[in-house]
Amino acid sequence: MNSVEKNDVVTKKDIRKASIRYMFMACNTFNYENQQAPAVVYGLSKVLRKIHKKDEDYKASLNNHFNYFNTTTWMANLLLGASIAMEEKDGIKSKNAVQAFKTGMMGPLAGVGDTLVWVLYPTIMGSISGYMALQGNPTGAIIWLLLNVIFFFFRMKLFDMGHSSGLKLITALGDRLNIFTESASIMGLTVVGALIPSVVKMNIPIEFKTGKVTLPIQTEILDKIMPALLPAVLTYVVYKLIASKKLSITQIIFLVIGLALVCSFFGILGV
Amino acid sequence: MEIIQGILIIALAFWMVLDQQGFVITTWYPAIIGMIAGIIMGDVTTAMIIAGTFQLMALGVANIGGSSVPNYGLATLVGVYVALRTTHDIENAKAIALAVGVPVGMLGIQLDVLGKLLNSYVSHAAQKALNQGKFKKMERIFWIGPLIFGMTTALPTALCVLFGDRLVRLILDFVPKWFTDGLSIAGSMLPVVGIALLLQFMPVKKYLTMLIIGFVISAYLKLPILGIALLGFAFAYYYFTQNMKKTPAVAGVGDTGDAGEGDDFDE
Repeated sequence: MNSVEKNDVVTKKDIRKASIRYMFMACNTFNYENQQAPAVVYGLSKVLRKIHKKDEDYKASLNNHFNYFNTTTWMANLLLGASIAMEEKDGIKSKNAVQAFKTGMMGPLAGVGDTLVWVLYPTIMGSISGYMALQGNPTGAIIWLLLNVIFFFFRMKLFDMGHSSGLKLITALGDRLNIFTESASIMGLTVVGALIPSVVKMNIPIEFKTGKVTLPIQTEILDKIMPALLPAVLTYVVYKLIASKKLSITQIIFLVIGLALVCSFFGILGV
Repeated sequence: MEIIQGILIIALAFWMVLDQQGFVITTWYPAIIGMIAGIIMGDVTTAMIIAGTFQLMALGVANIGGSSVPNYGLATLVGVYVALRTTHDIENAKAIALAVGVPVGMLGIQLDVLGKLLNSYVSHAAQKALNQGKFKKMERIFWIGPLIFGMTTALPTALCVLFGDRLVRLILDFVPKWFTDGLSIAGSMLPVVGIALLLQFMPVKKYLTMLIIGFVISAYLKLPILGIALLGFAFAYYYFTQNMKKTPAVAGVGDTGDAGEGDDFDE
C-alpha cells in the first residue's frame, strides 16, 4: 500500500511491469549454471534502471542478479518484490544484503513452493481433470485453466506484497504455509487413493471350464476377493520398483508396455 | 484446413513450453493441452480420452529443481494430432496416440537438457553485453532463451505433423491385432506409473489412512472422483483449522518434520 510513498520514482505500474516480465521469462532462460538468474535480470532490468541512474551502479546491480538463483517461480515474486524495495531504499549499497536475502530465502520457499505448486496442485487438478478426460469430458481441464488465470493475478499480487511488506511477510508466511501443505497432502492422498481403482484398469478374460460350469476368473474370483485387486497390486509393485531405484521411470514405463503386449499376445489380459 | 490445423498444432507446441516455464496458464499438462488440441482438430471427446491417459501417467512427474522430465504435454499433442489424422475410432486412437506419444515425450527429456545447456551461452552473452554497457542488446539476447525452448517442442511436433500420420498408417497395415490391443491395455495400466511416482513424494506412511479411505470409497462405493475430492477437502479443512488454532503459540515447532519431506523433491 505504501510502496508509492516510499519512493516517488518507482510506481505501481513499474512493479506490475517487472512482475509480468519476470513471470514470462521465469524458466525460459533456465540453464545449468545460474539457473533462473537471467530471467531475474530480464524481469528487473527496467525497474532497476529507474532506481540506479548511474551506469556503473546499474551494471553492478544487474551483475549481482546474474548470480545463481533458483526457487519456485511463483514464490520468487515475493522475493523479487522485496529485493526491489531494498535496492530502492539503500541503492547499490544494498547489493550484498539483497544477495544474502535471495540466497537465504530461496531454499525454504522452494521447499514449500515446489510441493504446493508443482506437486499438490497438479496432482489434485490433474487427478480430477484426467479422470473426467478419460470419459471424454473437458470440464476438469476448463476448471484448471480458469484456476490458472486466477493464480496468475494472485502471483502479480504476491510481487506487490513482497515489494510493500518484504521480509516480515515472508517469514510470517512460512509456518502457515507448512500447515497448508500438510492439509493439501491430506486432500491429495484421498484423491490418489480413489484414482487407483477408477483409472488403472486390468481385466483377465480367462475362464475356467469344468464340465458345464464356467468360472470367469475376473468377476467370480478376483472381484470377490476385492474390487480393483489387480490395480492395487500393480500400484504396490510399481511403487516398490520406483523406490528401489534400480530402474529409471522410462524403463518402468517400457516394462509396463512390454508386459501389456506379452499378456495381450497370450490372452491373459483383455481390453 | 489440414495445413492450418498443422500450423496451429506446431504453434501450440511452441507456446506450451514457454507458458509452462513462465505464465503457467495454458501449461503443458495433458488435460489442458489435449483440450486445446481437440478444439483445433475438431474432436474434443477423443482428444480428451487420449489426454486423460497421458494426464494420469504424468501425475507424479514434477520438473522441479531444474530436473528434466518426460514431456507428457508433447506426447499428448503429437498423440492427439496423429491419432485424429488417422482414425476417429476411440480404441485405435488411444493405441496410436500411445505408440507415437510416448517415444516423442521421452525425446522431450533430451531436448530439454539440450535447451538448458544452450541457455548457458545466452546467459553469458547477455552478461557480456551488460558489462559493455549495451543494455538494449542485452534485452534482445534474453529473447533467444524462449526461442530455444520453444524449438525443443515445436521441432519434434513439426516432424510428427509432416510425417507422423503417413508413418502410422503404414505401420497399422502391418501390425497384428494383439499388438494394438496390447497398446490399449498398456494405456489403461500406465496411469499406475504416475500414481506410484507421486506416492514416492507424498507423505504416504503418515497419511496412509487417507489413501485407504479414498480407495475404499472409490472401489466399493463407486463415488465419482469429484465427490471424493470434496471429502478429501473436508478432512484437509479440519486438519488446517485445528492446526491453525494451535500454531500461534508454538509456531514452527511441530512442523520441523516437513522440511525433510520437502527436500525429497529435489532428487
